[in-house]
Amino acid sequence: MAAHQSSEWRTVCEKFRLAQDLSEVESRKDPENNPFRSKYKARDLLKEIHCSLKKIQIEEEGEADSESRQMVDEGAGNECGKSCSGDSPAGLGAARLAVLQYYLGVNHIETEELSAGEQHLMNCLKLIDKCTTTRENVSLFIQARNQLGILWAGRDEIEKAQGFLEIAESMYLLYMREDGQPPLDLQDFFVLEGEELSQQEKTRSRFEMAYTHTLYYLAQVYKNLEQYERAGQYCHSTLQRQLEYKQFVPLEWAINAATLSQYYITKTRYMEARHCLAAASVIATLAGEIPSEAAAKESDAECEKREELLQKRSEIARCWIKYCLNLMQDAKKLLEDNIGELDLDRQEELKRARRNVEEEKEKGRKSAILFGSSDTFDSICSLEEKVSSMLPLDFEEARSIFLVGQSYVAQAKEYFAMDGHVTDHIEILQDHSALFKVLAFFEQDLERRCKMHKRRVDMLEPVCKDLNAQYYLLICRQLQFELAETYYEMMDLKLAVADKQDQPDVHTIKKFNNLCSSSMKYYQMFLDSIRSPEGKFPEKLEDDLLRPALVAKFRVARLQSKLISSNLATQLENLTHSLESYNFVVQYCEENPEAKNAVETELELSSEMVSLLPLKINRIRSKIASCN
Amino acid sequence: RQQRRTSAASLQCIINSKQPKEAPKNFTFDYSYWSHSSEEDPSFASQRKVYQDIGEEMLLHAFEGYNVCIFAYGQTGAGKSYTMMGKQDPGQQGIIPQMCEDLFRQTAENTDPDLSFSVEVSYMEIYCERVRDLLNPKSRGALRVREHPIMGPYVEDLSKMAVTNYSDIADLMDTGNKARTVAATNMNETSSRSHAVFTILFTQRRHDNMTSLDTEKVSKISLVDLAGSERADSSGAKGMRLKEGANINKSLTTLGKVISALADMHGSKKRRSDFIPYRDSVLTWLLRENLGGNSRTAMIAALSPADINYEETLSTLRYADRAKQIKCNAVINEDPNARLVRELKEEVNRLKELLLSQGLSNLITASGKYTHTHSTSDAPMEGVAPTSPTTHISKEEAAERLKETEKIIAELNETWEEKLRKTESIRQDREALLAEMGVSVKEDGGTVGVFSPKRTPHLVNLNEDPLMSECLIYYIKDGVTRVGQEDVDIRLTGQFIKELHCVFCSEVNENNEGESDHTKVTHCITYRNATVMLPENTVGEHNPQCHLPLPAKTL
Repeated sequence: MAAHQSSEWRTVCEKFRLAQDLSEVESRKDPENNPFRSKYKARDLLKEIHCSLKKIQIEEEGEADSESRQMVDEGAGNECGKSCSGDSPAGLGAARLAVLQYYLGVNHIETEELSAGEQHLMNCLKLIDKCTTTRENVSLFIQARNQLGILWAGRDEIEKAQGFLEIAESMYLLYMREDGQPPLDLQDFFVLEGEELSQQEKTRSRFEMAYTHTLYYLAQVYKNLEQYERAGQYCHSTLQRQLEYKQFVPLEWAINAATLSQYYITKTRYMEARHCLAAASVIATLAGEIPSEAAAKESDAECEKREELLQKRSEIARCWIKYCLNLMQDAKKLLEDNIGELDLDRQEELKRARRNVEEEKEKGRKSAILFGSSDTFDSICSLEEKVSSMLPLDFEEARSIFLVGQSYVAQAKEYFAMDGHVTDHIEILQDHSALFKVLAFFEQDLERRCKMHKRRVDMLEPVCKDLNAQYYLLICRQLQFELAETYYEMMDLKLAVADKQDQPDVHTIKKFNNLCSSSMKYYQMFLDSIRSPEGKFPEKLEDDLLRPALVAKFRVARLQSKLISSNLATQLENLTHSLESYNFVVQYCEENPEAKNAVETELELSSEMVSLLPLKINRIRSKIASCN
Repeated sequence: RQQRRTSAASLQCIINSKQPKEAPKNFTFDYSYWSHSSEEDPSFASQRKVYQDIGEEMLLHAFEGYNVCIFAYGQTGAGKSYTMMGKQDPGQQGIIPQMCEDLFRQTAENTDPDLSFSVEVSYMEIYCERVRDLLNPKSRGALRVREHPIMGPYVEDLSKMAVTNYSDIADLMDTGNKARTVAATNMNETSSRSHAVFTILFTQRRHDNMTSLDTEKVSKISLVDLAGSERADSSGAKGMRLKEGANINKSLTTLGKVISALADMHGSKKRRSDFIPYRDSVLTWLLRENLGGNSRTAMIAALSPADINYEETLSTLRYADRAKQIKCNAVINEDPNARLVRELKEEVNRLKELLLSQGLSNLITASGKYTHTHSTSDAPMEGVAPTSPTTHISKEEAAERLKETEKIIAELNETWEEKLRKTESIRQDREALLAEMGVSVKEDGGTVGVFSPKRTPHLVNLNEDPLMSECLIYYIKDGVTRVGQEDVDIRLTGQFIKELHCVFCSEVNENNEGESDHTKVTHCITYRNATVMLPENTVGEHNPQCHLPLPAKTL
C-alpha cells in the first residue's frame, strides 16, 4: 500500500505509539485530582488517527477507481453474509479502523464513560463482522468481546456478558481448528513498512493470553450465574493455560491451585484436589530457595522473601491437611452406622464396590485436568503417588492418609507458630486433633482408640489454658467444647472397655469418674463463657450459641447422673444436679419457644428425664432413710 | 457551613434519580441520621445526638470490660472523619473526642478508694497494608502485626502512651493527625487512602482489702476511620473482605480472589472444612475478634446524598448491609448426639417401666389385701366375680406381674455399684479357683500386672511376651511347698512339668518371726533369677524371686 510509505502514515503510526504510551505508562503518573489526564490525551490522539485513516481510505478508494469497492461488493455472497475476506485489502482496512474503535472503546471505559465505550466496541465488532475471520482480525474479535463481556457484567447483565464471551470462546476454538496461523497483533496494524513486526512468539503468546482471559471472565460469569461447577472448571482451565504458556508467577499460581483444591474438596472430587495440591507444591518450589535465617538478618528484602516463601508453603501444607482430613471424614460418613460406629457390612460392601470401579474411567477424567509442562510433570506425579485419592475403607488405609496429614501439620506449624500466629496455629492444632479423631473411628481396639483421644486432649488442653478469652473468646469456646466432647468420648470408651473386661476395679472407676468430671468441667467453662461480666447467664441465647449451650447443659446432665459412687448421699447429690441441668433445658425452651426446633431430641429427652428422675431420687432418699 | 453525614440508617431508601424506572432499594439499620442541613431543620442530627446513641452505649460496654470497636466507612467527603473526629469548634466534636472526654469525666467521679483506672492510647495508620506509628516520631518503617496468646493481636513496637486526662489525649490525637498529614504529603499520598486506628486501652483495677489482691479488667476501645470506599482497588488501600458483586475482575492477578470465593461458597456457614489461603488485610486481622467475638462493634456508614454519588452511596449501603452479617468463622462443631440419645432413650424407657410398675405394685398390694381379706373369711368365693375394679387381676397373674416388676426394679437399680458387687463376687470365685492352683492374688483383686511382694519368697511366671510375664505369683509358704502336676501346693501343668516338679522348703528364722529367709529347693532343676538353680540352693531374703520359665498358657 502506497499510503504506508507516506508521511501521513508515518504520523499516524507515531501518534498511535504515543497514544499507547500515554494510556499504558504515563497514565500511572497522573495526579489524584486529574486522574485521567493522560487517558484523555490518548483519546484525542486516537480520534485524530481515526480521522486521518478515514481520509486516507477515501483517497485510496478514489485512486483505485472502483476496484476495491467492487471487491467489497462482489464478496457479498462469499460466506454466509460476510461481505469480504478478512485478509483482503478491504478486510485489512476495516480491521485497522476496528482496532481504533477498540482502543477508543477501552479508553472510554477506563475513563468511566461506559455508554460511549460500548458504542465504540460495537462499532469495532460491526466492522469486523463484515469480514471472515482470519489471522488479521481473530485477536481483535476475541479482545473486543472480552471487553464487552466485562462491560455488561458490570451492568449486572450477566447473560449478555455470557453471550459475548461464549462467542469469543467458540471463535477461538474454531480458528485454532481451521486455521491456526499465528494471528496478527493489534499493535502491528500501525507500523511502517520495513519496521519489524512483533516477534511471532510474542504475538502468539498475547493472543493466547487474550483467550485465557476469555476463560477467566467466563469463570466469573458462571460463578455469578451460580453455575459453580462450570466456574470451577473454567478456573481450572485458566490455571492450566497460565502454566502452558508460562504466564504465571510461581507462588501466586501455587496458592491459586491450592485454593482450587479446596473447592474440589467441598465437591468431594479428591483426584482433582490432589492434582491441584501436588502441582501447587511443585510449582511453589520454582519460586526459589528460601533464604536462610542469616541471610534474612542481613537484608530486608531477603527477610521479606523468606517470610513470604515460608508462609505460602505453610499455607499449601494447610490445604494438604484439609485434603487428608476431608478424605478421611468423608469415608467415615460412608462407613458409620447410626451411632457413629464402623459398620462392618457397609465396609465389606464398599470394598467390593471399589474393586469394580473402572480405573479407565478415572484415567479419562484425569487427562482433562492435568497440569504441568514437561519439566514439572514428573515431580507432580510422584508427589501425587504419596497419598491416595480414594476414600480409605479400613484402618491401614486411613492411617497412611493420617500420616501424610500429620506430616503437613508439622510443616504448617513451622511458620504458623503459637508466638505470633495464635489463631492460625490453633486452627492447625484443631485440624490435627480432627485427624486423630477420625483415625480413631477406624481403630477397632478400644484401648488404642482411647489413647488417640488422649492425644487430642494433650494437644488442646494446654492451649486452652493459656489463651486469653478476651481476645480469643470464640476459639476458647471451640476448644472448651472440643475438650469436653473428647473427654466424653474417652469416658464412653472406658466404660465400653470395662464392660468387656467385666472387671471394673477401683482404679477404673476412679479413672471413669475423672473423665466424667473433666468433661463436665469443660462444658461448664464453655457455659460460663456465655455469662456477662457480672456472671449473669443471658436470658436469651444468641443464635450461634443456642444449640451448643443447650447441648452442653444436656450433656452435663447426663454426665452428672453417670458419676459412680457407693455413697448414697453423693448419689443423691449427683442426681439432683442432673435433674437441675435437665430442668434448665426444659425451662429455657418454655421461656423461649423458638429454641425448641434447635434441640428437638434433646428437649424431648430432657422433659422425660425431668418427669422421671425424681422417681430415682426418691428411691435413693428412701434408701437413705431406711439405712438410718 | 453544611456538614454532610448520613449515618447508619434505620431505613435507608435509595432511588436512582438518573434512572427513575429502577425500583427504589431499601436497607435497614439501627439508626439513621440526617446531618446535611443545619440545626434549624427538625430532622437534623447533631454530633451530640450521634454520640448519645452510639458512643454512650459503647463506653458503657467498655466499663463492663468488653472490647469495643466503632468504625466509619464511606466515600471520601461523605463525613467519616467528621463523625469520628469532628472539629475543634464547640458542638462539632466527633465520637472519639466526646467518648474520651466522657471516659475521664466518669473515672474522675469515682469515689471508691479501692478502684483505680489507667488509660493508654496508641494511634496508627494502615496504608497499603503497612502499619505506621503516628505517635512515635522515631518509629520508622512498617511495624509487624502479630498475635500473642495473652495480649491478643497487637502491633509490634507500637508506642502506647499513658494518659491521665482528656487534654493529654487531645494533644496526642492532634500530634497523630499532624503526623498523618505530614507523611501523606511526603509520600504523595492522601489520608483518604489510609485507615486510621485510634486505640484506647482502658484498665480498671480493683483492690481487694480482704485478700489484698488486685483484679484487673482491661478493655480495648478501637476507633477506626476507614479509608475512603471509592476506588479502593486502584488505591491499594483494602478494607474488609467482602464478597464481590456481579462485576468481573479484569486482571488475572485477581484469579485467586475468584477461586477463593468459589471455594468459600461451599465451605462456609456450617462447617469450616476447607482452608482458603487468602490473607486478611492487616485491618481485618487486627479487628478480627471485634467482628463477632467478645466485643461490641458499631459501624457507621457515611453517605453522600448527591445524585452524582449514587453508585458510591449504593455500594456503601450494600457494604454496610453485608457488614452486619460479618461473623467470625469460629462456629462450634458439635459431635453427633446419636449414641447419647440412644442410651438416654433406653434409660427413659426403663424409668417409665419402673413408674408403671410402681403404680402397678400399688395396685397389686391393694388387690393382695383384698384377696387376703377374702381368704380369711369363711364365705365361699368360688364363682363369684370380684366387684372391686382392682380385682380383675387374678392372684396368679398379680404374682407374676409382681415378680416381673421386681425384676425390672432390680435391673433398674442395678447401678454401677451393684455391677461392681457382682463383679466382686465373680472375682472372688475366680480367686478361689486361682488359690486352688496356688496362684496368689493382689489385695485389690487384680491379678494382672507386675506385682512383686518384696519380702516374701515367691515364684512368678515367665513368658516370651513381656506383657504376660510375671502375671502370676505363687507364694512359697512356710514349711514345705510342693510344686508339680498333682497333689501339690502349687499346681502347674505343662509338658515339662513333672508330677512332683520341685519342693521349696521355707524355714522360719527365729529372729525374724514369721519371715522365711531360707528356701530349700529340692528335686528338680529350676531357675532362680534366670540362673540354674540346683537342688539344695537357697533363695535369700533380699531376692525372694524365683522365675519359673513356663509359658503362662500352660497354667
